[in-house]
Amino acid sequence: MKKIVIDPLTRLEGHGRIDIFLTDEGDVANAYLRVPELRGFEKFCEDRPVEELPRITSRICGVCSLAHHIASVKAADAVFHVEPPPAAKKIRELSYCAHMCHSHIAHFYVLAAPDFVLGPTSDRAQRNIFGLIGKVGLEIGKEVIKHRAYAQDIQQAIGGKAIGAVNGLPGGVSKAITEDERRDFEAKAKSMVEFSKLSLKLFDDIVLKNKEYVDLILSDAYTMKSYYMGLVDSENKVNFYDGDVRVVDADGNEVAKFKPASYLDYIAEHVEPWTYLKFPFLKKVGWKGLVEGQDNGIYRVAPLGRLNAADGMATPLAQAEYQRMYSTLGGKPVHHTLAMHWARLIELQYAAERLLELSQDPGITDPDVRVIPTATPDEGVGIIEAPRGTLIHHYQTDEKGIVEKVNLIVATVNNNAAMCIGIKKAAQAFIKRGEEVSEGILNMIEMVYRAYDPCIACASHSLPGQFPLEVVIYNAKGEEIRRLSRNV
Amino acid sequence: MKTLILGLGNPILSDDSVGLRVAESLKEKLTDRDTTVIESTTSGLGLLDILIGYDQAIIIDAIQTEDDKIGEIYHFKVEDFKAGDHIVSSHGINLAAVLELGGKLGLTLPQYFDIIAVGIPRECPFGEECTPEVQRAIPLAAEVVIKKIGT
Repeated sequence: MKKIVIDPLTRLEGHGRIDIFLTDEGDVANAYLRVPELRGFEKFCEDRPVEELPRITSRICGVCSLAHHIASVKAADAVFHVEPPPAAKKIRELSYCAHMCHSHIAHFYVLAAPDFVLGPTSDRAQRNIFGLIGKVGLEIGKEVIKHRAYAQDIQQAIGGKAIGAVNGLPGGVSKAITEDERRDFEAKAKSMVEFSKLSLKLFDDIVLKNKEYVDLILSDAYTMKSYYMGLVDSENKVNFYDGDVRVVDADGNEVAKFKPASYLDYIAEHVEPWTYLKFPFLKKVGWKGLVEGQDNGIYRVAPLGRLNAADGMATPLAQAEYQRMYSTLGGKPVHHTLAMHWARLIELQYAAERLLELSQDPGITDPDVRVIPTATPDEGVGIIEAPRGTLIHHYQTDEKGIVEKVNLIVATVNNNAAMCIGIKKAAQAFIKRGEEVSEGILNMIEMVYRAYDPCIACASHSLPGQFPLEVVIYNAKGEEIRRLSRNV
Repeated sequence: MKTLILGLGNPILSDDSVGLRVAESLKEKLTDRDTTVIESTTSGLGLLDILIGYDQAIIIDAIQTEDDKIGEIYHFKVEDFKAGDHIVSSHGINLAAVLELGGKLGLTLPQYFDIIAVGIPRECPFGEECTPEVQRAIPLAAEVVIKKIGT
């Protein structure tokens, strides 16, 4: 049997490796995404006061820092049985919407768009943000940098730091918003709404008006039936900060809706010997291996998972685009993995509109931003929607609030099984017996997991830049016949 | 000349934090109003936002090398970092690529650039302290940075 490994995975947050095994005939027998793990993070958190965890867990990853901070502070609220005042919740959500904008902009323009603007099999030296700017123009490049900076400014003003926020405390936040800050956020949010519209128009012009790309999105190679999961508000609309976790099946029927505290009744984790990453699945459906379909408990999170698991978006422009996506792609749910890019831009639109709503909310400058906890701490779960999907922090403490146990299920890990299945499907579709496996072909396989925007730093607690990444192909004897190692 | 002293690293990853520690030690020493000391956990595109508006930048970071010279102080120029396949990830875009991108977009970025790196072990477990060999290099690296300011 031959084996192919992709390492490094370009444009992937952190470290990962793809192994592709070929049969004697040169067909793909199997493909695996493998991730190393820096062990001991949960242990590192133990024996500390739980109120320190929002500042420590946010160091897991420089990219997803605020997602961990907010999930952690919500878990700490629950540990202390304290409900933050309305202004504190709004301030957290406002900064979090800015975080979503920051992350989704980077993904689309730096990671996703080059494949479509330059072409998935185009010259690799050109298939990046420089090639993108060369095609779409410097002005758009400037807008990208400007709006990322706006989102960063808002996170910094509220969190105290651009990365590694320190404002979240059990029971609220440490600082209220001034009227001057509110006005500044409002102006930036208005600009962000327009920029989001521009981004969706670009997607329309570049991808949706190109039949070849629409066919690629709809192709079997990039399609997978699964369950979907995401946080929803009381009207089943997508919510990043708060709500119940909703799960729908491959036909779009609701099969579960639960509060964060009961997540262990619904989610279990399968372990495989060849990877450190676990495979979460729906407990009531069960684990049937790395196979797609309604009989297996594999679910997907991240933008497409959220949109599929919800009944709509809570803001008007995002809702209009939501309806357009489903009518264009054949109704709900959409199982086409590359539609993740469209869903991500719809979420960018929502995050920008919600940012504007919150910045115009009369209650956002209310100075009452903290309820001092008085109950005896014990156990709590905080769930939010990270840019890359549902993020769960679960803490147990003693009666003094000293951490005894930590369990994290990070967004990328929820998608682990789906990424593995998707990579295998794409590898089987694109690697043809007797034909050379070109860099372009390997990139088209990489496009599967790139759609999920996986953060291997979060998943492995390894932190970005610690490891190289690669794709390796093995023959039927297990001998390495091709290795793609990009400069790291 | 507006100068930025930028310490990079992760504060909970033991020796990886050495850049932050060096920057922290320089905060009290460098009080000139034209010199700004920043400690940051960012990388890649995030660096671009920080670098805008300065004439000179001195970056301090940890480095893992094949010959394991722990505590060794290295001095690099931007040219030492080939742009190559610069897009590993949105934050993994390397410094040379960040500067190239900023230049293309017409941003005001430092004209003078130095990178001071401290050799650290290949293994960096979770921890809030540097190992003794790396700890000893902190004041030495700080001296190297001070000598570079304005040059």
